[in-house]
Amino acid sequence: MTQTNIAVAAGSHSNISAKLLPLILIAALIFLFLAPHLLNPGLLFIVGMTLIQSIFALSWNLLFGFTGLASFGHAGFYAIGAYFTAAALRYDFNLPFLAVLAIAGILGAMIALAIGVVALKRLTGIFLAVLTVALTEALAKIIGFIPALGEQDGLGNFARPVMNFGLFTLDLTHSNDYYRFLVIASLLIIGALWWVVHSPLGRSFRAIREDADRARFVGIDVARYRVISFMISGGTAALAGALSAPWTRIVTLDQVNWLASTQPILNSLLGGFTSFWGPIVGAISFSTINYWTRSFPGLSEIMVGGILVVVILVAPTGILGLTEKLYQRVVGKRGRA
Amino acid sequence: MTSQAVFVLFNGLASGMAFFLVAAGLTWVFGILKILNLAHGAFFMLGAYVAYTVGGVWPASIWSFIGVALVAAAAIGALGYLTDQLVLKRLRNVDYHYALIATFGLMLFCEGVAKSIWGTDYFAVMPPPEVDHAINVGGSYISLYTLFVIATGIVTFVALEVIMHWTWAGKIMRAVSNDPWMAGTLGINVTAVLMFSVVASFALAGFAGGVLVPNQALSPHVGASFVLYAFMAVVIGGLGSIRGTFVACILLGLVESANATFMAQYGGIAIFVMLAIFLVWKPNGLFPAQGTT
Repeated sequence: MTQTNIAVAAGSHSNISAKLLPLILIAALIFLFLAPHLLNPGLLFIVGMTLIQSIFALSWNLLFGFTGLASFGHAGFYAIGAYFTAAALRYDFNLPFLAVLAIAGILGAMIALAIGVVALKRLTGIFLAVLTVALTEALAKIIGFIPALGEQDGLGNFARPVMNFGLFTLDLTHSNDYYRFLVIASLLIIGALWWVVHSPLGRSFRAIREDADRARFVGIDVARYRVISFMISGGTAALAGALSAPWTRIVTLDQVNWLASTQPILNSLLGGFTSFWGPIVGAISFSTINYWTRSFPGLSEIMVGGILVVVILVAPTGILGLTEKLYQRVVGKRGRA
Repeated sequence: MTSQAVFVLFNGLASGMAFFLVAAGLTWVFGILKILNLAHGAFFMLGAYVAYTVGGVWPASIWSFIGVALVAAAAIGALGYLTDQLVLKRLRNVDYHYALIATFGLMLFCEGVAKSIWGTDYFAVMPPPEVDHAINVGGSYISLYTLFVIATGIVTFVALEVIMHWTWAGKIMRAVSNDPWMAGTLGINVTAVLMFSVVASFALAGFAGGVLVPNQALSPHVGASFVLYAFMAVVIGGLGSIRGTFVACILLGLVESANATFMAQYGGIAIFVMLAIFLVWKPNGLFPAQGTT
C-alpha cells in the first residue's frame, strides 16, 4: 500500500511544479529511510528493486528523452555491471566496494564508447535498434559460455560487501544495512543525472533531440555529444546493475535478454519520458502492477502490454504528461473564473 | 566431411527458410507501412498455437497439415485486420520510436494472452506422416520435413516475387510503398492497400506458425526467439526488400548451421558477428530501398 501512496504522490507533482516537488521529494526520502522499519523483507526487496529500476530507467531516458536515441539493448550495460560486481564479490578481487562500483560504471561507459564510435555515426533509428538488441543477445550468449560466470545457471553464492574505510568499517552484510547504502547511492546517482540534464551538456543533448541539423548549425558537434550521452547512459545503467548484484545476491541470464532491455523503456514511457522524474514514476507504477498481478500467469504481460499500447496511442507523454494536462485544464478554468 | 557439409547445407537452408517464412511478412509490412512490427513474432506464435489447437499433435496427412496451416493463416489474418483497425492505423504518422514501442507492447499482450489460454507448458506437434522420416543424402541423414520446409520457403518467395513484380496488385503496392501521397492522387485507395498488406502479412505469419510448429517445442516464447532472426535478416537484406531478406535468411541459416556443427561449444554466436559486420559494411542492407528513401 505504501508503494501506491508514493506512486500517487509522485504522479501528482509533474511540472505542477516547484511548489509541490520539494514536498514530495521530502516525503519520499522519509519513506525510503524509514522503510526497513515499516515493511516486511519481501516488500523491502521490492522497494530496493524499484530504486534500481528507477536508475536504470533514468539512464535509458537520458538517451531517449533527452538526446533522441533509442537503445533496445540497455540490459547489456546493466548485465555488465551486475556480472562484474557479482564476480568481484564471489572471487574476492580484493578491491574496495566503492572501487568495484566505479569500475563497473567505467566499464559500461567504455563499452558504450566503443559501440558509439563504430556504430552511432553510421546508424540511427531502426538499424541502431536492431544492432543494440543483437549485441545484447550476443553478450548473453558469451556469458553463457563462461564457466566462471555460471554459464546458464547464473552467478550466485556471494556475500554482500563489507566496506573498510581504515578508521572504521561499514558492514553491509545485513539486508537492512545494504538497503540504506543502496538508498544513499541511488540518491547520489539520481542527483548527478539531474545535474547532467540541467547543465549546459544537457541543453546540448536536448538541442540534438529537437533538431540534429539545426544543432549542427549552431556549432554543436552532434556525433560527439551523441557518443557522450551514450557513455553516460551506458555507465549509469552498468552502475544500476552493479548496485543490484549484492541486493539480489544472484545474477542470471534473465537480466540480459531483450525483454529485460525493455523494462527501462516501459518505465520511462509509462511515467512520461518528457519529464526528468517520469522514469521513476514509471518504475514505481510498474512495480505496483507487477506486485498485484504476480500470481496470475500471463496477466502481467497483458496488463503491461495493454497499458503500453494505450499509453502510446492515448497519452504519449505518460502519467506525468497526463497529470500536467489535467492540472492545466483545472488551473485554466480557475484562471477564467 | 562431405556428409557433414551436406548436413550443414540442408540444415542451414531449412533454418534459413524458416526465418524467411517469418521475415517475409515483417519486411512486407515495413516496405509499405514503414513500421517495424515487433509483434510479428507474437502473431507467428499465435498461429502456431491455432494450428496446434485445430490440427492436434498428429496431423493425418500432409494435405490436412497444409490445410491447418491455412486455417491458422486465416485466423491470424483476421487478427491482423483487428490489430490494424485498433492499433496500427493510429501509428502511421507518428515517430518510429513510438511505433516500435507500441508494437512491442502488442507483443507482450499477445504473449500474455497465449499464456492465459494455453498455459506455460511446452507442446509438441509431429510432422505429417509423409515427411516424418529421413533419407540418406551423400552419407548424411536428412529429415524429409527439412526438405518440406525448404520447399515451402522457396514457393512462398517465388509467389511473393510474382505477386510483387508481375501483377497489378503488386504494382499498386509498390506504388503505395514508394509514395503514398502520389499514389493517392492517381486514384489508388491507399487506406485499402495498407489494410490489405497488413492482413496479408499477418496471414503469412499465421501460415508460418502452422508450417513451422513441428520444428520446435511450442511455448509462448517461441515468437521472440524467431523474430530476432527475422529482424536481423530484414536489416541485413535492406528494410522492405523481399529479395534482400530472402538472401539474408539463407546466409543467416547457413552461418548458424555451420556454427552449430563446427563450433558447437560456441553455438549461436556467429550470426551476431555476421550482423555486426554487415551493419558496419553495408549500413543500408544488401538491397537498399530505391526511390524516395
